Amino acid sequence: MQDVITRSITVKASKERVFKALTDPKEIVVWFPESVEGGTLEVGQEPIFSFNGGTHKRRVHIEAVNPYDYFAYRWIPNASGEGVGDVLGIPNTLVEFSIEEIGGSTTITMKESGFASLPIEDAETSFKGHIGGWDIQVDRLEKLLNSN
Amino acid sequence: MGYSGRSARKVVELQLMAVTEVFRALGDPCRLEMIQRLASGDPYTINAISKGLEITRQGARKRLQILADADLITLESKGRDTSVRLNRDALEQGKAFIAELEQRWDNRLEALRQFVDGD
Repeated sequence: MQDVITRSITVKASKERVFKALTDPKEIVVWFPESVEGGTLEVGQEPIFSFNGGTHKRRVHIEAVNPYDYFAYRWIPNASGEGVGDVLGIPNTLVEFSIEEIGGSTTITMKESGFASLPIEDAETSFKGHIGGWDIQVDRLEKLLNSN
Repeated sequence: MGYSGRSARKVVELQLMAVTEVFRALGDPCRLEMIQRLASGDPYTINAISKGLEITRQGARKRLQILADADLITLESKGRDTSVRLNRDALEQGKAFIAELEQRWDNRLEALRQFVDGD
């Protein structure tokens, strides 16, 4: 069972700008969830990422927020289920964003791991789905950061 | 710095009008074919650019004038003939417009569908 998805992009933006796009609640909603509810994007917080006008919600557990080079959270990939349960209480995946500025460019590496630990009926579907999902989301992040 | 709100709006309106002209001018198979021929960067005579398009010289002139009005090409008289050249700036404006649209395109629903369904 494959466990890890990684995506890497390089943008014309400072690492401060990149970090803000990832961890500022006003910025993350521009490219990723439509809203962040019931918590902040600080370590230990468990806000809900809301999608599609609220039809889909995912609770996340903020694992690390290290300015300006690392942001990580856990969530529960689910082909079935609500996605707002106890994130740390059941098998979850870890989503990490590593930021590295070199010269005038910044490389962002997204890594999601833990698929192999998911229930067998969810693992493969989630792995495949998240590949496609991240393709779109990382592309949105790239466009946002290259546009200003 | 820059424009006041009012004149900034005016600038946006003018840009939009220019882009409208560009797309209108491109919106015809025959004119589009002419643009494709010019895309190599070489100048064409009116005869060369309308070769095989089954249009009269007058028809060719009419079409070229529409492209020139949209700033997509420049027409320059050379003796008895006219030299036709592509003006890349107008095409760039059209390209920039599409690129901006693409940037605003909200495909998060598609991302969500993939995250959730895996297909």
